[in-house]
Amino acid sequence: DVWNKTWYPKAEDHVNTEKTWYVVDASDKILGRLASTIAIHIRGKNLATYTPSVDMGAFVIVVNAEKVAVSGKKRTQKLYRRHSGRPGGMTVETFDQLQQRIPERIIEHAVRGMLPKGRLGRDLFTHLKVYTGADHPHQAQKPIDLPIRDKRIQKQT
Amino acid sequence: MNKKEVFKLAKGFRGRAKNCIRIARERVEKALQYSYRDRRNKKRDMRSLWIERINAGTRVHGVNYGNFMHGLVKENIQLNRKVLSELSMHEPYSFKALVDVSRTAFPGNKNMTPAPKKEGLAILV
Repeated sequence: DVWNKTWYPKAEDHVNTEKTWYVVDASDKILGRLASTIAIHIRGKNLATYTPSVDMGAFVIVVNAEKVAVSGKKRTQKLYRRHSGRPGGMTVETFDQLQQRIPERIIEHAVRGMLPKGRLGRDLFTHLKVYTGADHPHQAQKPIDLPIRDKRIQKQT
Repeated sequence: MNKKEVFKLAKGFRGRAKNCIRIARERVEKALQYSYRDRRNKKRDMRSLWIERINAGTRVHGVNYGNFMHGLVKENIQLNRKVLSELSMHEPYSFKALVDVSRTAFPGNKNMTPAPKKEGLAILV
């Protein structure tokens, strides 16, 4: 009976075609706070129908990714490391250098660190779409503005 | 025959654990231990899932889980978390009524002083 068994979503409760699409402009937003709200919406933790084993979240589009902001001296001091697997194969870049090379990777790296790591987490990560510049090719999905509740997300100038 | 029972319980296991008795016996023992432990863990996990769902449902209405439950306790509403999570998913209007009841009983700690505003050069930190 419905009231004594905890609800578990059926296949038609999480079809990708009927999920919400959100769009957020990253210019002058603090990186970590933005990534946190994005990760919450992608994972579906803001919905009462949240289920940890099922992808109930929404899609999020990030535009103006190259204008994301960080506080303090992170622009020159925050390091992004990657390792090729071979000895001596560690490459270290600063935030600034990475932003000039591949600006999308900054937001992707931040959000990936906040999503669960595992098969489901990797699938969730594909629901994040990051673009430099102000437009995106997803007009057909009619994305709405991402509701942000963090008051300190906008960089104070 | 014990081997037959072991293989029956080893259905769906990976590799030799479903076919070779010495490996299957170990894996089946482990599986039975895990299922004993998890019958107790399931109760904890379910409650934690209900709490997460209730939290999400109340935050939509601007109240967090802790303040919501405190308000319900004050009003002596003894609905358990399972039922509250089902209400938050399937009966949104009734759930909103509950949130309002809880909010009148315990308006939350709005008396907190907000974080001090940074001025001047402190903004950069």
